Amino acid sequence: MVARCSPTTWAEAAGVSAQALAIRDRAAQLARTDADAWHAALEALADSGDEGGADRRNHELERKLDLAAAAPLEIAQLAADLAELAAAAAERCEGSFRADAAAAAALAAGAARAAAHLVEVNLTVRVGDERLTKARASHQAASESADRVLTVLE
Amino acid sequence: MSLSTLPDAELVRRCKAGDEDAWNELVARFSRYVYAICTRGFRLSDTDAEDVFQELFARVYTNLHTLRDDAAVRPWIAQLTRRLCIDTLAKGERERPDAEPLPDAHGNDLAEIDEAFEVREAVATLSDTCQEMLDRFFARDQSYRTISEELELPAGTIASRIARCLGKLRIELEGRNQPPPGSRE
Repeated sequence: MVARCSPTTWAEAAGVSAQALAIRDRAAQLARTDADAWHAALEALADSGDEGGADRRNHELERKLDLAAAAPLEIAQLAADLAELAAAAAERCEGSFRADAAAAAALAAGAARAAAHLVEVNLTVRVGDERLTKARASHQAASESADRVLTVLE
Repeated sequence: MSLSTLPDAELVRRCKAGDEDAWNELVARFSRYVYAICTRGFRLSDTDAEDVFQELFARVYTNLHTLRDDAAVRPWIAQLTRRLCIDTLAKGERERPDAEPLPDAHGNDLAEIDEAFEVREAVATLSDTCQEMLDRFFARDQSYRTISEELELPAGTIASRIARCLGKLRIELEGRNQPPPGSRE
């Protein structure tokens, strides 16, 4: 919205708007994937107490928990992109829309933090796990983007 | 100028003159387009799509000399493909009397296919770097961070570079859709 409202003052506005739309579509898709993966993992957790075939069930549970960690990791990375894009918009868009762009960056940073937390609490993710490192890096990058633009506006 | 960069009209002119390499390029250039109409536009099976593909290019080979406007080869091929797809579906109906009725003409799908191929051709005119950036972000869903690391570019510049590439793509597409000089449109 911010980019679409700044076409005359910002040459890259249309290109930024197109990227924002692509990120929105990806986020909607990932939200569905995340919900499906989480439900599947919950069902596997519920089944894990049944007697018999413990090895097979444990393997299946681990596989589903892995999938349940993959979606929030992608969401964290996408949120970092969105925060970066929103920060770029806030720095270059028409003045009256800067606060909206800054708010979008802050919301994206919040989403990155929440997604990184979901990766962190997943039962298959251990200390030093690459997924955790990536999720935290995405949260960190998103926070820096949001802080950068909020500082400019203060 | 290599064959792959020749405008459609010039490629057709060379095909009509009997240039074997030009024929190969014509098939290569339009094969994905034809296949997309068959499978996405008309939901043909792979086997039926393959049959349409063979028949289509046989007809193009036989009838290309009847094409009056060499630049209009794409809509001509699209029309031939649509007819062959409809024939294939109708033939399936006759062989299976209890089959579902023929699907409606998938007008939106066909328009989307045309648009997608137009964009694809326009993207091919951009610099290698722009093609790479747009492909990674929009087709492969890569994050700015991944693009930055793999192309060894500063992370904070990726969004801006993609935006500039999109700007060039827009100019290219708008140039293609301009009416020719002297046109009444």
